[in-house]
Amino acid sequence: MSLFLRDQWAFAAFFLVQLILLILIFAMDGYWNESLIIYVVFLSLFFAGAFLVVRYLTHRTIYQRLSKPVESVEELTQTHGNAALCRALDENCLEHYRLYKEQLHAYENKQRDYTTFIQQWVHQMKTPISVIHLLLQDEDDSTAESIREEVDRIKRGLETVLYIARLDRFEQDFLIEPVSLRCMVQNVLAENKRLFIRNQVYPEVKIDEQWRVESDEKWLSFVLNQLLTNAVRYSSGKSNKVTIRAYERGASVLLEVQDYGIGIPPEDIRRVFQPYFTGENGRKYPESTGMGLYLVKEICGRLEHSVEMESEVGVGTTIRIVLSAVVPILQDRKLPES
Amino acid sequence: MSTIMIVEDDPKINQLLQSQLEKYGFRTVNVEHFDRVMDVFLSARPDLVLLDVNLPKFDGFYWCRQMRQESKCPILFISARESKMDQVMALENGADDYITKPFDYDVVLAKIRSQLRRAYGLYAPQEGERTVEVSGLKLFLERMELSMQDQKVELSKKEALLLEALMNQYPRVVSRERLLEKLWDEQFVDENTLNVYITRVRGKLKDLGLEGAVETVRGSGYRLRTIWEDGQ
Repeated sequence: MSLFLRDQWAFAAFFLVQLILLILIFAMDGYWNESLIIYVVFLSLFFAGAFLVVRYLTHRTIYQRLSKPVESVEELTQTHGNAALCRALDENCLEHYRLYKEQLHAYENKQRDYTTFIQQWVHQMKTPISVIHLLLQDEDDSTAESIREEVDRIKRGLETVLYIARLDRFEQDFLIEPVSLRCMVQNVLAENKRLFIRNQVYPEVKIDEQWRVESDEKWLSFVLNQLLTNAVRYSSGKSNKVTIRAYERGASVLLEVQDYGIGIPPEDIRRVFQPYFTGENGRKYPESTGMGLYLVKEICGRLEHSVEMESEVGVGTTIRIVLSAVVPILQDRKLPES
Repeated sequence: MSTIMIVEDDPKINQLLQSQLEKYGFRTVNVEHFDRVMDVFLSARPDLVLLDVNLPKFDGFYWCRQMRQESKCPILFISARESKMDQVMALENGADDYITKPFDYDVVLAKIRSQLRRAYGLYAPQEGERTVEVSGLKLFLERMELSMQDQKVELSKKEALLLEALMNQYPRVVSRERLLEKLWDEQFVDENTLNVYITRVRGKLKDLGLEGAVETVRGSGYRLRTIWEDGQ
């Protein structure tokens, strides 16, 4: 309503000015009939008023919509009635909507192609890596060891790329099922054994066999991989132990990775989960991409796990993932097999 | 002797797998024309197939279905794709197991053996019993025994692994890192534990009269020395 008034204000003013002007011209000509003038003024105002009312009633929907905040693109497809202006507006909006959707689709396709390309490319790169890996398997001099180290880095990098690309299609690519924490941790540790040995850091696993959690094993393994890589990297040369433990807190099970390494400066703690943030430690250690912890947070968010972090410079860092335990009844039933 | 058919379009991986499998006493058949996979399959009648997923013309899933119509032999997929969906696809198309690239020889061999054992019973593992020999010193990896002429000692699993590494690398030095990696399976092994195992291996060798056969190379690792030959 207020938009309508603001919109029609100029018309009303113009109409009044014109009316007064006409009366003044007649008056200056010497014609003055009070009752007739009152009648004319009343009649004109009545028709002008009627015009505005009809105008408002037929175009009401437009004014209402224009004064409401926009909530979704789909509002563009709403219709407004039969008045010429309404119809023209509807058509125009629909056309915009169509164009917009077309462009959006084009970009979506492009994005999807790109993601597919990245995934395929990463998979293709695994073949040469396999060849190098196999060629090196029987070699044991320092050159071979050094190449193995670099191949591990490439593998780690490719893996990260793959998971970032997958994150876009997360909804189609995960499967929540009971995951045995100890089993998963051991697999991830075995995958990373060279990283540990090379940095002379050793894992200490304190996980009871009973812990099963609701999660996706692949994504959770990737998360743990990132946490362990960080823990080892920032322990190297300072401490030789990383502790991985699981314990319960209320209805949750916590998976904790604790290192006794350099720790994170307090001013950086809040920002370590931001993408591309490397902080002071990242500048000291060349391999930081700033993506690791960001991915951890993103993935955990999507799996509905939360992440907690504590750190003190010179003492170490503890990261916890808060998971929900598998319902105890299932757990009991599964225990005998282990 | 079991015959293993390798269907892999990367020539290097193909060749590396082939030579590795032959080293362990398997006969291998490989495919050169990827539109004639079935011809090779039917004429060679392999006991087990290693099948890549990404192949020219038809993918591995297609060939797997074709093979399944003819035979029940174990089929192992080798693929760079590690997602659960791909593994499920493989199993649904009739595969028995799935190996992801990049892989270790140990893993491939272990999976091949377990599939053969499952499919053809217990007599199968006897062939392909891995043995390593260095100038008369013979290590039986399945039985975990070490023999020299007619003397024998039993080994623990970790001792066998250590000796395998040392004997395979002979006469080169094996780094401590490499040994730690070999020993690490369920539980990690630290430097001190490695020292303990090395001492035990030396003890076992001493039982065979081979004292001093494992030499410490300072700053790098250990080396096997055929002192028994030097002495002769």
